[in-house]
Amino acid sequence: MSGTATEPAADAAPVRPEPAPTRFERLFDAFTGTVFGRHQAAVVRIGFGLAWLGFLLREWPNRRVLYGDRSPWSADLSDTLLSATHAFTVLSWSDGRLWFETVYHLGILAALLMVLGWRTRASAVLFAVTVLSLQNRNVLVGDGGDNVVHLMAMYLVLVRSGLVWSLDARRRARRADPAAPAAPVGELRAVRDALVTMLHNCGMVIIAAQVVLIYSTAGWYKVQGSRWQDGTALHYPLRLDYFTPWPELSALLGSSLLVTFVLSYGTVILQVAFPFTLANRRLKNALLALMIAEHCAIAVVLGLPFFSLAMIAADLVFLPTAFLVRVGTLCRPAAGRLRAAVRLPATRPPSP
Amino acid sequence: MRTWSIPALTVLCLSGAGMIGGTAILLGALFLHNAPSNALSQEYRQQLDGLVYPEFEQNWKLFAPNPLQQNITVDARVQTIADDGEVHTRDWVGLSVQDAAAIRHNPAPSHVDQNMLRRAWDFYESSHPAEDGAVPGQRGKLAEEYLKRIALQRFGRTAGGERILQIQFRSAAKAVPPPAWSTEEPGESTPYKELPWWPVNEDDYRGLL
Repeated sequence: MSGTATEPAADAAPVRPEPAPTRFERLFDAFTGTVFGRHQAAVVRIGFGLAWLGFLLREWPNRRVLYGDRSPWSADLSDTLLSATHAFTVLSWSDGRLWFETVYHLGILAALLMVLGWRTRASAVLFAVTVLSLQNRNVLVGDGGDNVVHLMAMYLVLVRSGLVWSLDARRRARRADPAAPAAPVGELRAVRDALVTMLHNCGMVIIAAQVVLIYSTAGWYKVQGSRWQDGTALHYPLRLDYFTPWPELSALLGSSLLVTFVLSYGTVILQVAFPFTLANRRLKNALLALMIAEHCAIAVVLGLPFFSLAMIAADLVFLPTAFLVRVGTLCRPAAGRLRAAVRLPATRPPSP
Repeated sequence: MRTWSIPALTVLCLSGAGMIGGTAILLGALFLHNAPSNALSQEYRQQLDGLVYPEFEQNWKLFAPNPLQQNITVDARVQTIADDGEVHTRDWVGLSVQDAAAIRHNPAPSHVDQNMLRRAWDFYESSHPAEDGAVPGQRGKLAEEYLKRIALQRFGRTAGGERILQIQFRSAAKAVPPPAWSTEEPGESTPYKELPWWPVNEDDYRGLL
């Protein structure tokens, strides 16, 4: 682009200096040509894949009661509600058990493929279709965790989440010959790439904004509550039968005035402040770490492991790239060992 | 960066503007959906609902403005008929007590135990107006059938060897006492409220057992 003085003047005709790009042109080039947050997209994909995979496996024994032919929320009841809400579910196409089992197990497969990043875009579509289908078959058994998986499953269709840390990326790296110069890309192909990149960038904005909305809403509505104001709010969920798998632990946590007060006020401050700390990297990262820690505690104390896993997966979109790359490098030897262990039997000589 | 031809540039600019516009509209709608009801969201209620429902619906008022401060208990009992035609009313069975027992010491409670009955009861309450004699709407009927089927899945077809004829629910709310260091009076507990008996037909069992 910008010619330097050391460049040999090989061509006889002098090169017409290109005008410096305008601000709009720079923004346009970035929007159409730069895939922002590819590591964050990948880690969100892996996180939600794991959360939903874990949930589907945990509920496998109960799958027919929750979403299938044995559900108290019968196909008739479901169809009546769906005709009013028009929610999308392929499970309304047939009440048969075979169709339900197919969709549920396709859901498990899609979640696994999301974790691995195999044919990521197609897997993301299958993931979204199965998540929506199962959840909309019975919206009355979900909680906040299901809600966030539902939304993110749709948003993940938009983004290029398979560029790193995926089987797709590994396949592309193998195919590409580093010695060969990059082949020139035809314009039709280039337009397609630019469209996909623009869609990705919009998708990442939506994912990030959605996470901000979650925390802002949770925080600002708490500010109005008298229990959050008097600092005793935390005491109450710790005494609800439906959210105390470990009553001794809950009682211990809620028995201290200081702990209850600090955690109640800390939660509100954390949630209200979070969107504003995005302007400051260090502060944002510190708050993010606190939020992830709080969700880990919620997973155990309130008995909401899949809700917490989904919220942590959503938080990951704000992790700094440098940190993600470092974690990725640390994981590489472990991944190599795992691959070697899995392949070991195949390398053994066949027994006579 | 690449130099684009005019047709390519046109395609990119138009679709780029469309995507940015779509993103802005979606995020604006989600903001208004999450914000308290306000002048703008009331003015555009219809368009807003059309975009947000059903797939973008969300509720992040988690434990807000105040956390739930009552343990809600749901019990059910059945009437059975013996072969000689005699009708027996059976004892109350604590359905939420069963849930609590399944959740206790379980690191990953199932939605069946943690959400099904709890949310079905919420659905029933929200679809049944408080005043007596009010006729429930379509959602109310769905809620009744759902609640009945959740209980019947646990009872089975018979109780004490006799066929189930009718089922009845009752519910109470027990206030969580304030913390030990607080001087506050405990919140309001409500005594058991009994629902009418509902007949049980073979249809109610479809697919359940």
